[in-house]
Amino acid sequence: MKVFKKFTVTALTAVLAVTTAFAGIASAASNLSGKITVNGSTALLPLTLQAAKEFQKLHPKVKIAASGKGSVTGPQAVKKGIADIGACDWDASIDVPGFKAFDGQVANKVAVIPFATIVNKNVGVDNLTTDQLKGIFSGKITNWKEVGGSDADIVVITRAFGSGTRVNYQAKALAGGDIVKKEKNYKETGSSGDMKTAVATTPNAIGYIDLVYVSGDVKAVKFNGVEATTDNVINGSYKIWAYGYFMTKGQPTGATKEFIDYVQSKKFQQGSLKKLKFIPIASMK
Amino acid sequence: MGAPVHNLESRLKQSSVKVSANAKRHGRHLLSNSIFRYYFLFSILALCFVLGMVILFIGKTAMLMFGQVSLADFFFSFNWSPEEDAFGAAAFIVNTLSLTALTMVIAVPVSVGMAVLIAEIAPNWLKTFIRPVLDLLVGIPSIVYGYLGLTVLLPFLRDVSGQGLGDGILAAALVLSLMVLPTICRISDDAIVAVPRKYRDAAYALGSTRLQVIMRVVLPAAGRGIISAVILGMTRAVGETMAVVMVIGNTAQLAKTLFTPSSVLTSNIVMQISNVEFDSTWNYALHMMAFLLLVISFVLILIIRILGRKRRDAA
Repeated sequence: MKVFKKFTVTALTAVLAVTTAFAGIASAASNLSGKITVNGSTALLPLTLQAAKEFQKLHPKVKIAASGKGSVTGPQAVKKGIADIGACDWDASIDVPGFKAFDGQVANKVAVIPFATIVNKNVGVDNLTTDQLKGIFSGKITNWKEVGGSDADIVVITRAFGSGTRVNYQAKALAGGDIVKKEKNYKETGSSGDMKTAVATTPNAIGYIDLVYVSGDVKAVKFNGVEATTDNVINGSYKIWAYGYFMTKGQPTGATKEFIDYVQSKKFQQGSLKKLKFIPIASMK
Repeated sequence: MGAPVHNLESRLKQSSVKVSANAKRHGRHLLSNSIFRYYFLFSILALCFVLGMVILFIGKTAMLMFGQVSLADFFFSFNWSPEEDAFGAAAFIVNTLSLTALTMVIAVPVSVGMAVLIAEIAPNWLKTFIRPVLDLLVGIPSIVYGYLGLTVLLPFLRDVSGQGLGDGILAAALVLSLMVLPTICRISDDAIVAVPRKYRDAAYALGSTRLQVIMRVVLPAAGRGIISAVILGMTRAVGETMAVVMVIGNTAQLAKTLFTPSSVLTSNIVMQISNVEFDSTWNYALHMMAFLLLVISFVLILIIRILGRKRRDAA
């Protein structure tokens, strides 16, 4: 028995020593610990996940759980105390069309998200002005020939009310103008992926989407004569873009603050964030 | 231990060991029986509990709506503009009903016809081929049907009708028809096969043609089973979401024509639920719609049960 006991003690000590040694190596950088829950926008989710992965390498004692549903769920979850960070495609601390401000929340800018007006490849129009877009989405302009295209009905594809993309597009591209439903040639889609498929497969269709989603099967049109590129967003000539925000209840503290600082750090902004095709916030003047 | 071992004693012991082994085995069986009984009971109770919680939760949230929206507004107003505090769900309810009706009009004749073909007319090799194929169709995820609708059916409808978009209840009904067809067909098939052979023999003996036997004898005899099949298909059509959402246009308005982009209860819930605030009338109204769907499927299933009981009584 005695031998056995001795053996156990030795084993335990050994295990403990090894564990401490490993922990020592891993957390050499920090003793930061805690649990961060991130909820909200699906558009910002890839960014959050990548940042969480890198942050946890630096601070192994911090646990980050991130999920995406819809922009408005972010600030809501923060309000209810379900999440520490609410990812949102608009600044939820002020009123936007359709959604009231969330009182007491602080908006932390984390990225710049550009949006593009897209049309089906059969559409001959290359450029649309703010007024033309307002006319098209409010249902006053219904034929492509009114904006310099061929004689064909315009098919409007839009996101459902409450989508972050829609909120930003209405604010920036339509200068606050309305998107009005019509009895024909009008369709609502539930996600960026559906939007792209719908515009790509419907002749004479027009829609709008995050710039990162634009690829060969749809055509991005110029806005007031300016091409939708990240360079044009940075130099200030292309206006359809918005900040992505991490909403917090009051000023962030502890691990949450460290995490947001990491996402805003130059290392992350110029590295992983750029690779994910977002634009660093520092690029905007 | 250490008791002396005599011949007789040992034999006695052996027999008692046998008896006790039997008793033991019996006891084990009793034990395992009762364990399994409790396990099964637990499973059923767990299911009932979850179902009860779903109904309670959805119902409770749904009822909160009536604090802010009147019953008449919700059921009879066609104006659904949540951003302007107008929560009229009549358009969705009417669209759900008309979509289901249209689906049944398209699907029932085809699927019952197929069932008759499989059960009565087709040669054996065809039967053994078609039945597994239909079972396979039931298992295809609805999103696949939706995607096919979006990429194959819609362009086709655009070409045929000259519409710019093609989305609407016709497109949704066609996709749904394809989805409920195997369900209706297989269950009708079983009902037709279950019609006793003597009915057919009697009809043939009286000089009926094959068509007369099928139309006047077999189908009426299998009628209740076929109606159950149709209602089961209806429950699937009413509750289907993903396939519908891709081809119906998702616009909150009454489907006045076959090509008006519109929305039904399910598609409206899935489109909007992730974009609403938890404690808003809008969220409550969406829960009310979900509750309404629950009630509709409950009623439909109740009808199936009653029909099934009547059929058993008649047999």
